[in-house]
Amino acid sequence: MKEYKKVLTDKDISAMAYRSALLQASFNYERMQAGGWTLAMAPALQKIYKDDKEGLAAAMTDNMQFINTHPTLVPFLMTLLLSLEESTGDRNLIKGVKVGLFGPLAGIGDAIFWFTLLPIMAGICSSFAIQGNILGPILFFGVYVAIFFMRFPLAKIGYNLGTSALDTIRESSKKLSRAATILGMTVIGSLAATYVHITLLPKIRISDAVDPISIQTAFLDKIFPNLLPLCYVFLIFYLIRYKKVSPTVLIMGTIVLTIVMSFLGVL
Amino acid sequence: MQITLVQGILLSLACVVIGVDYWLEAFFIFRPIIVATITGIILGDIKTGLIAGGLTELAFAGLTPAGGTQPPNPVLAGVMTTVIAHTTGTEPTLAIGLALPFSILMQYVILFYYSSFSVFMSKADKYAENADVKSLGRLNMLTTGIVALSYGVIVFLSTYVAQDAMRSIVSAMPVFLTHGLEIAGGILPAVGFAMLLNVMLKARYIPFFIIGFLVATYIAIANLLPVAIIGLALAMYDYYFVKSDDELSHAGGTQDEGI
Repeated sequence: MKEYKKVLTDKDISAMAYRSALLQASFNYERMQAGGWTLAMAPALQKIYKDDKEGLAAAMTDNMQFINTHPTLVPFLMTLLLSLEESTGDRNLIKGVKVGLFGPLAGIGDAIFWFTLLPIMAGICSSFAIQGNILGPILFFGVYVAIFFMRFPLAKIGYNLGTSALDTIRESSKKLSRAATILGMTVIGSLAATYVHITLLPKIRISDAVDPISIQTAFLDKIFPNLLPLCYVFLIFYLIRYKKVSPTVLIMGTIVLTIVMSFLGVL
Repeated sequence: MQITLVQGILLSLACVVIGVDYWLEAFFIFRPIIVATITGIILGDIKTGLIAGGLTELAFAGLTPAGGTQPPNPVLAGVMTTVIAHTTGTEPTLAIGLALPFSILMQYVILFYYSSFSVFMSKADKYAENADVKSLGRLNMLTTGIVALSYGVIVFLSTYVAQDAMRSIVSAMPVFLTHGLEIAGGILPAVGFAMLLNVMLKARYIPFFIIGFLVATYIAIANLLPVAIIGLALAMYDYYFVKSDDELSHAGGTQDEGI
C-alpha cells in the first residue's frame, strides 16, 4: 500500500466542484461520461501522484471506465474517490466504490432534479412567462444557478466522508475492496438489465384465424425478459476478453448491425 | 417579418453557448423558457419570446434526458417556436408543433454524436495509459467544439437561410435510418458494460451480477437505488462473515481464479 500523504487542499476540493462541469464534455454511448470525468479528475490526480507517472497512468486508466451519473451530484463522488486515491491508492477499492455509487447517485439525481424539481419550476415559471412576465425566466435561471453552486458543499462532503472513514479503510482495504466489488457487480448486473434494450419486432403468422404471434413477447419474454440484452453483453465481453476485438470495431459493428436490422424490420 | 442577417448571427452565437450548456447540463439555460426569452430579446419581440417559452417549457417538462435517453432538443424547440411565431404571426401554441421537426433534427444530430464519439474512446484510453492529460483535454475540447459548432450552423440555417428546406430534410430522412439510430442508442451501452466486466469479472463475482440483473429485470424499480442497497447488503455480509483473502490463503484457499 502506498504511503498516506495528504496533498489536496481546500482549494483543490473547490476546484473539483467547478471542474465537475466537464463531466459530459465527450459524452458517448459506449463510455458515457468517462472522458470528461477523467479530464475533470486529472489535475487532482496529478497532484496526488506527482512523480509517480505509472501510478497516475493506472489511476487515469481506471477512470476511463464506463460511468454515467448525475452531473449536479457528481462532485460528491469525485472528491470521495480522490480521498481514497490519496489515502490508499487501492485500485480495486476505488473501482468498486465508483461503480457501486455512480448508478444510485444517478437515480437519486434524476429523481430529485428531473422528476421533481423541473416539473415544479416549469409549472411556476411558465405561468409567469405566459402572462408576458419576465419574472418567470429570471426566477428559473436564479434557482438553477443556485443549484450549480450546490456543487461546492457537495465536493466538501464527499472528501470529508472519505478522510473520516480513513482508518477503517486502511486497516481492511482488501476486504473492503472485495466487498466494494460485490456491490459494484450487483449494480452492473442491474445496469445491463436497464440500459440495454433489444426488442425483436417479427411476428409469426400461424393461420388467418389467430393473431400473429410476436417472437419477443410469446417466446423470449417467456424464457425471461432481457434475455437478448444479457446475451449481447456477454457476446461483447467474450469478444473483448478472449478474441481481443477492439471496442471501436464492436461499436461500429453494433451501429451498422442495428441499422441493417432496422431496415430488415427485425429490430 | 423576416429574420435579419444580424439576428441570425446573434441567434446562432447564443445557441453555441446554450448548446454547450445543454451538452454539459450545467446552468440549465437550455430549457425552452430561457432559450425562447433570449430569442425574443434578440428578435426585439420579448413578449412573443416569453409566451412561446412558457408554453414550450410546459410541453417539454416531461421530456427529460434522464437515464441517458435523448428527447427532442429543447434548445431548437425554444428558438424555432419563437422564430416561427414571430415571423409568421402564428399562435405560439401552433408554432410549437411547427418547430418540432427542427427539434427532432437536432435530437438526431446529438444522437449521431453520442454514437460516433464512442470512436474517440480508444484514443482517450491511450492518453490515460500515457498519463497524457493535455491530449485528453484537447480531445474533450474537440468533442464539445463539434457540438457547439453544430448548434451554431444548424440554428443559423434554420432561422436565417432556409427554414423550409430544413423542414423537408427532416421529413425526407428514411424511417429505418432514424429508427436504427434510436435502437443503436439502446444497445451501445452493452459495449461499455462488457468493458467493465472485462476489468472486474472473476468467476466468484458472477453470482452478484446475476442477482443485480434478475432484480432489475423482474422488479419494477424507479431507479437503481434498491439494487444498490441489495448489493450493499451482500457486500456487508461478505465483509463481516467471510474470511479475508489473506486468511483464506493461509488456510490453503485459492484466489483470483479466472473464468
